[in-house]
Amino acid sequence: MTESAIERAANPEQASRPPLLAMRGISKRFPGVLALSGVSLELRPGEVLALMGENGAGKSTLMKVLGGVLVPDGGEIAIDGTPVVLAGVRAAKRHKIALIHQELMLAPNLDIASNIFLGNEQGRSLLWPINRGEMNRRAAALLERVGLALPPTTAVSTLTTGQQQMVEVAKALSVDCRIIVMDEPTSSLAAAESEELFSIVRKLRADGIGIIYISHRMEEVLALADRISVLRDGRNAGELSRDEASHDKIVALMVGRELSTAYFPPKTAAAAGEVVLDVRDLVVPGAPAGVSFDARRGEILGFAGLVGSGRTELMEAIFGVTPARSGSMTVEGRPFSPRRPRDAIRRGVYLAPEDRKRHGLVLPMSVAENTSLPSVGERTRFGLLDRSAERRIAEAEVARLRVKTPSIQQKVVTLSGGNQQKVVLGKWLAMSPKVLILDEPTRGIDVGAKAEIYRHMAELSAQGIAILMVSSDMEEVIGMSDRVIVLHERRLKGVLARAELTQQRLASLMTGQAAVGGETAA
Amino acid sequence: MLGALCAVCVVLAISNPDFVGQSNVVNTLRQISMLGIFALGSAFVIMTGGIDLSVGSLVGLTGVIIAKVSSQASGGLGHSLPLGIAVALAVALLIGLGQGLLITRLKLQPFIVTLGGMLLIRGVSQTIVQGGTLSLGTSPLLRLSNGGLFSHNGDPLIPYPMLMFLAVIAVGTYLLHFTVFGRYVYAIGGNRDAAEYSGINVKKVETLTYVISAGLAGVAGVAYAAYIGQMSQQVGVAYELYAIAAVVLGGCSLRGGEGTVLGIVIGSAMMRVIDNGINMFQIPYEDSDGIPRLWRLNPNWTFVIVGAVILLAVVLDQVVHIVQAARRVRAAPTAPPPAPAERAS
Repeated sequence: MTESAIERAANPEQASRPPLLAMRGISKRFPGVLALSGVSLELRPGEVLALMGENGAGKSTLMKVLGGVLVPDGGEIAIDGTPVVLAGVRAAKRHKIALIHQELMLAPNLDIASNIFLGNEQGRSLLWPINRGEMNRRAAALLERVGLALPPTTAVSTLTTGQQQMVEVAKALSVDCRIIVMDEPTSSLAAAESEELFSIVRKLRADGIGIIYISHRMEEVLALADRISVLRDGRNAGELSRDEASHDKIVALMVGRELSTAYFPPKTAAAAGEVVLDVRDLVVPGAPAGVSFDARRGEILGFAGLVGSGRTELMEAIFGVTPARSGSMTVEGRPFSPRRPRDAIRRGVYLAPEDRKRHGLVLPMSVAENTSLPSVGERTRFGLLDRSAERRIAEAEVARLRVKTPSIQQKVVTLSGGNQQKVVLGKWLAMSPKVLILDEPTRGIDVGAKAEIYRHMAELSAQGIAILMVSSDMEEVIGMSDRVIVLHERRLKGVLARAELTQQRLASLMTGQAAVGGETAA
Repeated sequence: MLGALCAVCVVLAISNPDFVGQSNVVNTLRQISMLGIFALGSAFVIMTGGIDLSVGSLVGLTGVIIAKVSSQASGGLGHSLPLGIAVALAVALLIGLGQGLLITRLKLQPFIVTLGGMLLIRGVSQTIVQGGTLSLGTSPLLRLSNGGLFSHNGDPLIPYPMLMFLAVIAVGTYLLHFTVFGRYVYAIGGNRDAAEYSGINVKKVETLTYVISAGLAGVAGVAYAAYIGQMSQQVGVAYELYAIAAVVLGGCSLRGGEGTVLGIVIGSAMMRVIDNGINMFQIPYEDSDGIPRLWRLNPNWTFVIVGAVILLAVVLDQVVHIVQAARRVRAAPTAPPPAPAERAS
């Protein structure tokens, strides 16, 4: 693997050639956020460049710019030293750039061959007949190249996620792509499938294709990448070569600052209250084994893990979105087996979901209507909507959480991310929670609002609410949690008490290395 | 569905031998053909995940325009018949194009656009006929629906609308199952984002499906005009719903991405055979006095039966889907292999 790097270094002619891809000073502004600010990046042929950064660091935005999905506000892109304009997906394709999205972009109702050549059928016009025989032959050759031993006429809906990924790679190869971007390709793959993907990536690299590989998984990146480029808050944070890269260096670049204790509210030493939620051998659909833990009054219980480690699925099982397959739970000592969210809500177990715009809020409705949505059904007057109760609830929560909104009649779609999250919180606080599940409570929220959310969380836990907090932000997990449960590949990998929390320990548990110290499964 | 269709036909043939009599068969084939033509058009739209509610009104408008332009009878302008047909079809295609552009360019919802189109076009027909009827008189067009090939006992064996339907089936099969265009229709219905990200001109393909739908509604309208002869504002009312029902019975999902031409042909046939069967169904029995009598279905039950058949079909379809999905979940590996050891690189 390193031979190619050595060869490049020893070959001055190649080194002096312009890079395959050069992005310089790329900027992109979204309403209220500067997503990218002067980001630069270079990619040489036959190289795997890992792109890393925390959630919201701008990786996906940068890659959407490269894929022609987003048009940048500033900066230039050059391929082989020639400046290009990538306006639209088709333009990117013309320049031999392929984007493999985290959410796979395949039509499930079509077969493999049709998907590989979708949008590239070689027809002279729309009315030209498709040459199935030729297409299947070429598809078979491509499938062999990516190591997928399936007939090209197999329906895509019957494939596993890993196989679908290979179809995406074959699709990129079908148009002779020279630049392939993979966004979190292993996030939903089993270990064996990931291994297959890595061997394909190495093969593509040997063929001289430039690969940009986005991943959160440290060990994967260290094993695969020739170079690692780190983004932080929409800017270049630094670059590491294969030889100088290490786990700690990457984390330092990603986080970019020592953990500031002042950022997080001081924890009032949680008097270990009685157990509120007790989970025993809970088997979530798709999980290999049961998970057991308990949450106490006034405790903030953090859940750490990589994307795909099963944290959200576990929370959805506790909230009754997808009922658990087996196992048992109790809330305040009484059996608790929610089949739907309504069951959980009746017992005082609430969820502020990860995707708050989709699952947490009715965007076109007002702050008041959203805040009172779960409780308004209980407060009717002769079966009619009690508007004054609605107003009371909303005003109380807006005041308590200091939601910045012109009025409670404001539509939540116009609020900032932080204030939207407060509305989600308010909607549950109005119903006196016993257990509050917060899935990625500060995702996409700016720094100032984050601190406020943290303060509210601390207050709530001081009031005796048990908080389950799922977070991909290590700093947040360490700063806020009394205890942390680490999941890896849908198994409980370890439990760390507050005193034992370090980035090092968390990261090694999250990436599946053996449990270091501390207690194991509760 | 093909099995169900055969079963219904066999039951009807047993209960009433007239069902397979020449005049009933020819008439049913004509009805199936006329429905099938515009049902197939609707199917293009439905396969992309859209809906076209304006086809029924278009069927009516086409006939009204033909009568207005070419009828020698009172109220008609008395131009030639080909001109009337050409004007009518051109209007239909333009309406389809207009609706398609509104839906794709302005990102309006197909349901609303074609609902508006449905009402507006119906109103235009009403204005042209001024609330009454327009007769085609003795126009040669009347032979189109009532004539056919291979006369037997003075009646044709293969009505002309059936020939039109066969031609539409041939073109439709080619378009949907053999061309790039058809592939894109399925891809858009299956995963619009994937189609967009594959560089497909989604807007153009979608617009074309509305043009095809309107165009075939126009072709069906010519056949209905010939069949009915007297054009009133009532021709084609609710036909869009028959088309949707036929398409769904034929195995298409309103979510898009599914269905075949053959399925839609069978779905159209099912709709018309049930319709015809309700009139034909009879069970001979002897009453207590030993007098042979016939038990017939009350024709008022038509909508009850048609509705029940449609619901039954989609329920069965959904049950099959759920069972398949459950089987896939069970077949998926539940235990991923142990975490990988340190990788050599």
